[in-house]
Amino acid sequence: MRLEKCWFCSSTVYPGHGIQFVRNDAKVFRFCRSKCHKNFKMKRNPRKVKWTKAYRCLHGKDMTQDSTFEFERKRNRPERYDRNVTEQTLKAIPLITKIRHERQKKHITNRQKQGKTKERERDAKELEQDIQMLPKKDVMLSTQKTKVVVKVSQQQTEENLMEE
Amino acid sequence: MAAFLRSKCSSVGRTLMGGLGNNLFGAVNSHVEAVTRPSYCDAICQQVRTFIQMRTNLKVVDNSGAKRVMCIQSLRGKKGARLGDTIIGSVKEAQPRGKVKKGDVVYGVVVRAAMKRGRNDGSEIQFDDNAVVLVNNKGELIGTRVFGPVPHELRKKKHLKILALAEHVV
Repeated sequence: MRLEKCWFCSSTVYPGHGIQFVRNDAKVFRFCRSKCHKNFKMKRNPRKVKWTKAYRCLHGKDMTQDSTFEFERKRNRPERYDRNVTEQTLKAIPLITKIRHERQKKHITNRQKQGKTKERERDAKELEQDIQMLPKKDVMLSTQKTKVVVKVSQQQTEENLMEE
Repeated sequence: MAAFLRSKCSSVGRTLMGGLGNNLFGAVNSHVEAVTRPSYCDAICQQVRTFIQMRTNLKVVDNSGAKRVMCIQSLRGKKGARLGDTIIGSVKEAQPRGKVKKGDVVYGVVVRAAMKRGRNDGSEIQFDDNAVVLVNNKGELIGTRVFGPVPHELRKKKHLKILALAEHVV
């Protein structure tokens, strides 16, 4: 049994699910659920609908190029059954999925890095601008702390000079 | 004169439907006849697809010479015919010097239906239009070619000749 991909959202169409639409030029459109079929009937472009795989890949939201995707491929030649091969494949599946999930996590953290640095910059700027809004006690504390740090550094430099 | 008037009325009705996407009109009409309409209209008026029943117009997708057939009886039962069923139809439009003439009563196998039909694996299949291949009363083909995609369910119905002649089997 072949697991096809949905034409609209690119998810897997499991046996017994979904609907096939055959156009008069014999192109077959497979849909995983009525949501995808309805969107197709409304002539929506899957690349412009945000929840589809096509959109997410196009806008760099998902990991697209990875060696773990190479295992899942459309093969038109049926494999001859071999017990050892089947056993090894079954063992490999969870391992590969684990690796893929880790890489996807990494991809997401990499994508979030930019936003985090920007957020930090924004926070620093806000602190600089609106420091007078803080109650005076806190401001005093923060300034004292910085003074202490400066003193330490100065001391260190003096010590360094002495040594020299 | 009457025939001319009727044809004019029907053409006006069809343009109305196509232009405005008048849902009410479409709903009323679907009871009477499920005309195969071009796909641009489908998006506008989401018509409920029904069985192939009396007065359904079907496209003929072989080289028998007929172009349009109107269903006058479905050999299936009360509800009407679906994908793969046999119908009796009368030829409404035909090409000159074909094997069938206008007004002939013919048998036909429904090879494409716009109404969705469940498959053995639980999924469903739906086509663009309603199409028929003409056969004689023994189930032998009148034409010698079949155009467009046909479903593999015809094998179960023992229309192997249609499957052999078809361009695409889905």
